[in-house]
Amino acid sequence: MSGSKFYVIKKSDFPKFIGSLSRNFKVFAPVRGEKDFNFKEIKPSKEIDLEGYINTEFPPKKFFIPDGEVLMEYEKGGKVKRKPAKGRKILFGVRPCDVHGLIVLDKVMMSEPVDVFYKNKRDSILVFALNCREAGENCFCESMGAKEAKEGFDLLFTDHGDEYHVEVGSEKGKEVIGKSRLFKETDKEAEKAKLVFKKKINTENLPEIMKDRFESKIWEETANKKCLSCASCTSVCPTCYCFDVFHLNSIEKPGSGKIIREWSYCMLKPFTKVAGEMIFREPRVERVKQFFYHKLVYGKENQGKYHCVGCGRCITECMTKIDITEEVRKIRDEYEKRKLRA
Amino acid sequence: MNMKNENYVPKIAKVVGVKKENPEIVTLRIRLEKGKLEFSPGQFMQVSVFGIGEAPISVCSSPFESRYFEISIRNVGNVTNSLFRMKRNDKIGIRGPYGKGYPMERFAGKDLVVVAGGIGFPPLASVIEYLINNMDDHGKVSLLYGARDPSELMFKERIKRWKKKGVDVFITVDKGNKKWKGNVGVVTTLFDKYDIKGDVGISCGPPIMLKFVTQSLQKIGIRDSDIYLSLERLMQCGVGKCGHCNIGNKYVCLDGPVFSFEELRGLTEKVWK
Repeated sequence: MSGSKFYVIKKSDFPKFIGSLSRNFKVFAPVRGEKDFNFKEIKPSKEIDLEGYINTEFPPKKFFIPDGEVLMEYEKGGKVKRKPAKGRKILFGVRPCDVHGLIVLDKVMMSEPVDVFYKNKRDSILVFALNCREAGENCFCESMGAKEAKEGFDLLFTDHGDEYHVEVGSEKGKEVIGKSRLFKETDKEAEKAKLVFKKKINTENLPEIMKDRFESKIWEETANKKCLSCASCTSVCPTCYCFDVFHLNSIEKPGSGKIIREWSYCMLKPFTKVAGEMIFREPRVERVKQFFYHKLVYGKENQGKYHCVGCGRCITECMTKIDITEEVRKIRDEYEKRKLRA
Repeated sequence: MNMKNENYVPKIAKVVGVKKENPEIVTLRIRLEKGKLEFSPGQFMQVSVFGIGEAPISVCSSPFESRYFEISIRNVGNVTNSLFRMKRNDKIGIRGPYGKGYPMERFAGKDLVVVAGGIGFPPLASVIEYLINNMDDHGKVSLLYGARDPSELMFKERIKRWKKKGVDVFITVDKGNKKWKGNVGVVTTLFDKYDIKGDVGISCGPPIMLKFVTQSLQKIGIRDSDIYLSLERLMQCGVGKCGHCNIGNKYVCLDGPVFSFEELRGLTEKVWK
């Protein structure tokens, strides 16, 4: 990448910038709803109101692995057509933790063989990240090394009062800035906000400790006394990518239909059900462990990165207040105690 | 660098032969409309029936046969029920082959004990077809095969052919009937009865059987690194993306379906209770 890495844009010019983008892109940004912010398509004329925006209720994964995406269509006589990807998009306001979430998805979906449906979207959707000014109640991104985004975005915005500081993260981001006259080069780095976190995870030696305590009664207690197997945690997790594929027959044209990809949840029994009604993770505790161990052990072992970015959504959405930071603390305590005794 | 892509689009294939093995199992002979299929024993295909869905199924034919390949299915699930009703010239979708098969190159010069249970037999049939192609490359081949009852025995003609080629075959059923004069009992009872010996153990079958077969193989002195098991899990993609088939940090579709017991023993999540 040549040229400057840092720019500034006046906030008063920002709507004009978004307006100019709308000619080539559908622009999505956090929009306040009844309960929370969520990514919605925004009209170029409308100003983006981020007052009180901590993070979106649902992570941006739905843009890259849409729930219910039509992968292909089949016709009678055995002809299969792949569905072409639709238009270009910009996602503005993606928090650094969620950028890290996308990096996790990249590592899974773009490792060989590359999932072409995911890659098409990663190529056609630009990520305009936005640094945080304050941490939410359940945020612990700092513990997971996901407080700052260093890659995985096209542009990174930082609120500097009357202006946004902008860091370029890709050629595509650079191109967007190059086409606009609203940006001024700067050699200054972005100001770093002082974020205060109420929640933390001590990740020192974490996979080893978790593996040592795989048979701990703590998991059974969480599974049997708290968890309802509702799968809220997996649906809001920015790194949960598991999916099912099913065929949907056309009623009008018998023999034709669509092949559809849908989100799938390891917290539910059918996730491991094979023909003959055998379920490999039948007891709830096995499913609870699958979630926590995928996030904190297997992901780290397989992709070299925790599949937890500390966004805290699973804590926020859990109906029985299961808190991943608390679970890890209990497991670590038990581990330390046993070590002392040994 | 050119990366391999996966677009999940199946190749169209035609059923060119149907053989009923028993009341619940059929073997389909399949030919791709375009191109040939190359696979190694133990690998699986993602087989789709349009309008019903897709399922991972092991290839049971000889890897040296390139004009067609065969799969055997029991009618127990949505996809397998549809496959069970297939007729000649019906069309299906095929992706693959996927996964790591049995490490055939490691069997050179070794005495092999092959243990098959029920519908776990098909991938092992492909192994034996490979082995009989050149019996001088390895030592003795003992096939231990267990089915629930005599009516469920499959691959009868193939077994006859293998015997002629020098494979020692031992068959048992969990439950006999009036006509049955052979062994009765689970497949592991054959080990003591016939003093089975070998250097390498190869098995596929239901989880509970694999657990006891592994113990029997260990008991006759086969090392965990020489015990190879083929596992079944739900899969939606076959290429390590859908997340359904993991056992600990391993994916059955990518790292398996064939694992050495040494690999499985070290996993965080237990392969069986």
